[in-house]
Amino acid sequence: MKIAMINGSPKAGKSNTAFLLNSLEALISSGNELTHYHIIKNPPSEEAFSQLCQMDALVLAFPLYIDAIPSHLFRLLVELEEHMKGHKNEIYVYAITNNGFYEGRQNHIAFEILKNWCQRSGLRFGQGLGHGAGEMLASNDKIPLGHGPLKNLGKGMNLLADNINSKSSGELMLVNPNFPRFAWQFAGTHFFWNAEAKKNGLKKRDILRRL
Amino acid sequence: MKMIIHDLGQEEFTVLEPPSTGDTIVISDHGKIRPCIGCFGCWIKTPGVCIIKDDYQSMGELLSKCDEIIIISRCVYGSYSPFIRNVLDRSISYLLPYFVQKNDETHHQNRYNNYFKLTVHFYGEDITKAEEKTAQALVKANGINFYSEEECVCFHQSLESIKGVWQ
Ligand SMILES: Cc1cc2nc3c(=O)[nH]c(=O)nc-3n(C[C@H](O)[C@H](O)[C@H](O)COP(=O)(O)O)c2cc1C
Repeated sequence: MKIAMINGSPKAGKSNTAFLLNSLEALISSGNELTHYHIIKNPPSEEAFSQLCQMDALVLAFPLYIDAIPSHLFRLLVELEEHMKGHKNEIYVYAITNNGFYEGRQNHIAFEILKNWCQRSGLRFGQGLGHGAGEMLASNDKIPLGHGPLKNLGKGMNLLADNINSKSSGELMLVNPNFPRFAWQFAGTHFFWNAEAKKNGLKKRDILRRL
Repeated sequence: MKMIIHDLGQEEFTVLEPPSTGDTIVISDHGKIRPCIGCFGCWIKTPGVCIIKDDYQSMGELLSKCDEIIIISRCVYGSYSPFIRNVLDRSISYLLPYFVQKNDETHHQNRYNNYFKLTVHFYGEDITKAEEKTAQALVKANGINFYSEEECVCFHQSLESIKGVWQ
C-alpha cells in the first residue's frame, strides 16, 4: 500500500506529532511504501498534491489548536479537497492528534471536522487516535511504546496500525496518558512553563502580566 | 468595546453595513497573516504578545478590551475558515499557560478578568447537518477555553441574511 505520512505540526524540528508518526511508522513500515510530508517545512507542490491523490491511505498527524485543526494544515486540507475532485481510487484517511490538555477526549471535535472534510473530498475516514497531555510525549521518547505513561498510547497505536495494514476502519480512540492528572499538572506548571520562562529571564509575575 | 473578526472581502463586508462607531475593532484578512508556529513565546518570552510581528500580534490584548466578539466566517467542514482559524491560533496570549479544571476537564487560566459574549455567524450555501453540529460543538468548546459568558451560533445561506444582525 502507498501511504502518505503527513506531519501537520507547525514545529519544524522536534514535535509531539513527529514522535507519534515515528511510533506508528515502526508498526506499518513493512510491506507498505511510506512517503513523508512535513507541510510547514515543504509546502506541497502541484506534484505533491497529485501524489497525494494516488495514495491508498493518508495518515494525518497534528496537534489540536483551539479545539480544531491548526490553520496552516487546514488551508492545505481545503486545497486538497479541490485536488481530490478527480481521483478514482478509494483513499482511506487515518488521523493521530495530540492535545496539550490532559484529556484526550478534547480532540473529538477535530475528528468531526476531519470526517466532514472526508465527506466533501470523497475520502473514506478510517480511524482516529487522539492523545492528551501531548507535551509530555516527545520528552518520553526513550520509554518503549506500551510501557509506563505510554501504555495507553501503545494499545491505541497497535489497533490503529492493524487497521491501516488491513485498510479497514475502526472506532475513534481518545486516550489519556497512563499517568495521574495532578502529577502531570504539577510537572507542566513547574518543569515546563516556569522552567522555560526562567530560561528567558522571566519571573512568575512577568508570566502573569496584563497589558 | 466590540470586536468583529471576519473573512470577507472589504466590499462584501461593507455591504453588510457593520457598525462604524469608534468602539468596534474590526479584524480582517489582508492576505498577510502568518500562521502560529507553536513556540509558546506569547507565554514564556513576551507574555501577552505573540512574537510574530504582523497585524495580529496583539490579539490577546485586544480581546481583553472587549465585551462582545462577533465572528463572521464561511463554515468549512464544520470549522471556521482558514483565516479565522489562523486569527484564533494567534490569540492564545489572551490566556495564561497555567492550568485549571472546569467540569472535570483541563483548560487554561485566564490572564484578564474579562468575559465576553461570543457570537458566530457561519455562512455557506450548502452547510450540512453534520457540519452544523460540529460547528455548534466547536464554538461551545472555544467559549469554555476563552471564558466567554455566553455563545450564540447562527447559520446563514447567504451573506444577505447577515445584514440585519447588528442590532
Ligand atoms: C495556538 C495553540 C492552540 C492550542 N490549542 C489547544 C487546545 O484547544 N486544546 C488543547 O488541549 N491543547 C491546545 N494546544 C496545545 C497543543 O495541542 C500541544 O502543545 C501539542 O502537544 C503540540 O503538539 P506538537 O508538538 O506536535 O506541535 C494549543 C497550542 C497552541 C500553540
